[in-house]
Amino acid sequence: MKNLFAFALSSLTRRGGKNFFIFTIFALMIFILAGIFTITHALKAEMFATLEALPEITVQRIVAGRQTDIDAERAERIAEIPGVTDAMPRVWGYYYFAKAGVNFSIVGVEAFGTSYKSSLESVADLFGEKLMEGDTMVVGPGVAETLARNFFKDYFYFVKPDGSLKKVTIAGIFKPETTLESNDIVVVEQGLARELFGMSEEAATDIVVKVANDEEIPTIARKIREIYPDTRVVTKEDLRISYQNVFDYKSGIFLALFIIAIFTFFIIIYDKASGLSSEEKREIGILKALGWKIGDILKVKLFEALVISLGAYLLAVTLAVGYVFGLNAPLMRDLFMGYSVLKPPFELPFTLDVGTLALIFFTTVPVYIAATLIPSWKAATLEADEVIR
Amino acid sequence: MNLLSPDVIAILMLDGILSLFALLALAISVRIVLKWDADATTPLQYTLEKRAYLVATIIEYIFYLKLPLFLYFIYTLDLLSNILPGAMCAAGVTNATVYGMWLFVVKILDLYLFGLWIVVHRIDMRRPDYPYTKPKFLFFILIFPVFMLEYWLEWRHFGGIDPHVIVSCCGTLFSAAKTSAVSAFVTLPTPVTLGLFYGNFLLIVAAWFFKKPLLTALANLLFIPVAIVSLIAFFSTYVYEMPHHHCPFCLLQGDYHYVGYAMYTALFVGTFFGIAAWVAERLAYPAAKRWMKWSLIGDILYVALVSYYPISFYLKNGVWL
Repeated sequence: MKNLFAFALSSLTRRGGKNFFIFTIFALMIFILAGIFTITHALKAEMFATLEALPEITVQRIVAGRQTDIDAERAERIAEIPGVTDAMPRVWGYYYFAKAGVNFSIVGVEAFGTSYKSSLESVADLFGEKLMEGDTMVVGPGVAETLARNFFKDYFYFVKPDGSLKKVTIAGIFKPETTLESNDIVVVEQGLARELFGMSEEAATDIVVKVANDEEIPTIARKIREIYPDTRVVTKEDLRISYQNVFDYKSGIFLALFIIAIFTFFIIIYDKASGLSSEEKREIGILKALGWKIGDILKVKLFEALVISLGAYLLAVTLAVGYVFGLNAPLMRDLFMGYSVLKPPFELPFTLDVGTLALIFFTTVPVYIAATLIPSWKAATLEADEVIR
Repeated sequence: MNLLSPDVIAILMLDGILSLFALLALAISVRIVLKWDADATTPLQYTLEKRAYLVATIIEYIFYLKLPLFLYFIYTLDLLSNILPGAMCAAGVTNATVYGMWLFVVKILDLYLFGLWIVVHRIDMRRPDYPYTKPKFLFFILIFPVFMLEYWLEWRHFGGIDPHVIVSCCGTLFSAAKTSAVSAFVTLPTPVTLGLFYGNFLLIVAAWFFKKPLLTALANLLFIPVAIVSLIAFFSTYVYEMPHHHCPFCLLQGDYHYVGYAMYTALFVGTFFGIAAWVAERLAYPAAKRWMKWSLIGDILYVALVSYYPISFYLKNGVWL
């Protein structure tokens, strides 16, 4: 067994050129696949981490199938439902900055008030006094950079819905913990946010509900639906499932397309492995004349396939991990990031699980070995007397 | 419709490749069964002898890929339980369609069948006159429909999963309530369950002691359902340390250190070699004794693993659940 393996290794090196070609192409394919899956997995992990910080339930008002402003007073009624820790109206939305062609996310906070997100709360506390002074904002690093490029270093003129201008000074720039979520954010005082969006004093974008006991979430969501039938109640679980489905869908589509590539490769391998040179045939003939059995040659061929495919797999996965987490996956991450200019220069968190590695393994290595099965058998059953003649 | 989950695609693709190869193997097997004649010196016999190698290689490939793929299949079911509302482990996903439980049973059956085929093949290759070639290919022709059934069930199952329909959690599927599928076993008095389980185990040990391969095979065959039922009814509650949590699937999750994978592997090794030993003895192959020993080691490992939980629970808390 050991000797057969050694023979397989030396046989591989003797035909280095041909094997190197197959090895490289195969490694490249695994690399692409591994890259996509590790990015998906890392993004999913980051999304779920973000999700943890989100409120348990979000209540939106739906009119004619579209989301619209909700009455902020409703939060008080919702807070009375047993089991609800807190219900807060949120004022937030997007502001399109035409000159740079980007959207800012404007988030209204109550200075020194509790917020639905601890990261926002710390911003509100840190810059609380400045925000209270009125007409000031705290911006994410991406926003600050965009504004600076358009010569707004200390302040910015927002165009309100009625066309008038509103001067808002920049009170500070915050360094967010999870860059993915906060790069394009503009934090302002809630009243100012309403003014910028042209919303009435009682209106809010949506209401977030905190629930202490996770088990009670579905019941509370149902009660809210019963009290306000015109609302859409989204729970954290709903979001988690739809994120999961979106990512599964993306990588699923990719894999479905990739299968075509892998089958093309299957044919190439099959062809390459079938086309034995006369030298190779001669070698097999001599081996058989020396007393090698069909099973021995089959084993050698199998070892060759194993060495190439496992080697390519290990190399490609290592490279992919370096590419994704070391270099932050240039080019490939754009597939997932969308095309907005203000999308953050984020770092992918390092996550690598056995499941992803197994998925990459099962979609590549067995396919390679399958492709070599029949050619190996053909080679092993060559007639000794015919090929060395 | 969960066919677009990458893990499901991977499994269906691989089983697709395996099915194609199996089809090829079937075609050759049929010819061999019809035309094989070990004494003939015709070109046909010569070709068949060569082709027999191909079939054997293909079947070995299928088996050795199926082993890890089965573990991956379970892992995928666990993953899907994150998406399906109501499911908390693979049990819910398995029961999401009517095909799920059958798929599971047929998959396990396939592992045993392919494994036994390889055993017969190994024995056959050691003999100069290949006496079992015809029977073993006939055996494969019989296995083939089971394999196709598995693939068909797999498509029906994964295709039929609807992520919007709430499925049952293992808590209800394996409860003692009358409606659950296994209530009859769960409500068995504990002494009866344990008596059956350890009695069966003692039978295996005795069969090994008196070197009776047939008894070993029968006892091991019986041990598969007995072990699983007792696991559901009794041992699993101690792993979870909850008196009403009877589930053979949650064991496979990280919360319980993936102990299920070790348990089921030990059980498979134990029972498989127990049956294989009898086959080897029938075919006059000397490995029978060695395999009986391996079988015993696997079974002891399984029994030790499942027994550890109640005993350690009792030692820690001084009471039984």
